[in-house]
Amino acid sequence: MDLDAHLPHIVAGDADAFGRWASAAEQELRVSLRPFAAAADCEAVLQEALLRVWQVAPRFEPDGRPNALLRFTVRVARNLALGEARRMRSAHLDEEALDRAHYEASGPAPAGADPWLRQVIAACRDELPEKPALALGERLRGGGCEPDETLAARLGMRANTFLQNVTRARKLLAECLSRRGINLEAEWR
Amino acid sequence: MTDPDDDALLEAVAGAWRERDAYGAVRSHPAWHDLDAKGRDEAWARAAQSRKIEAALDPDGLSTTVRALLSRIRAPR
Repeated sequence: MDLDAHLPHIVAGDADAFGRWASAAEQELRVSLRPFAAAADCEAVLQEALLRVWQVAPRFEPDGRPNALLRFTVRVARNLALGEARRMRSAHLDEEALDRAHYEASGPAPAGADPWLRQVIAACRDELPEKPALALGERLRGGGCEPDETLAARLGMRANTFLQNVTRARKLLAECLSRRGINLEAEWR
Repeated sequence: MTDPDDDALLEAVAGAWRERDAYGAVRSHPAWHDLDAKGRDEAWARAAQSRKIEAALDPDGLSTTVRALLSRIRAPR
């Protein structure tokens, strides 16, 4: 799948198109950062990389090979992660090992949008006990824009209780999916 | 078995919410600094799993990472 199909719209400033592109590229980008997990906060690095790519996208010139924007974003993200790890003088940064783990984006698998997977995950979500379901729902509604303390307060929970319920929801969902033969971790474990 | 306090730290770091600094750059989660190398790797794995679940449950197929990104892009300057 060549995600550069979104590129003309992204270059024209279409945020929705960038969202669709980012959604399809996210897993590949996240996996590319795995070697930095102990040395830099990969979630922060990923979000910052995507923001920077959006800012320079109008001037982006593809190299003619598939997934040019994805390969460019992988380089931006890895450079940010390296810079962040150096800034913090991380003891977990083995630069030689990271060089050996040079990453070349292979193109994202279209798994995220699989309607069958969406259906199965939704069915598993419907089996969750009340409090884990509430916590997971609040995380989704928060859309990554509010701290857990705020989400917890809306549910009348302490932050730790809220986080325990999120953990429980994720574990129960993973168990439910496993019973149906789906292992979400297979791509990176 | 993970200590409940450590588990809460892991789950907090696995979420998509991140602060911004004075220049608008995305900052590391405060709890990330309290994790050891093993904990940081576990938080990465939980985040990867959580984002897949979130995208599958979202009507538009977007994870909270992408929702946070779009919210930032669309915010008035």
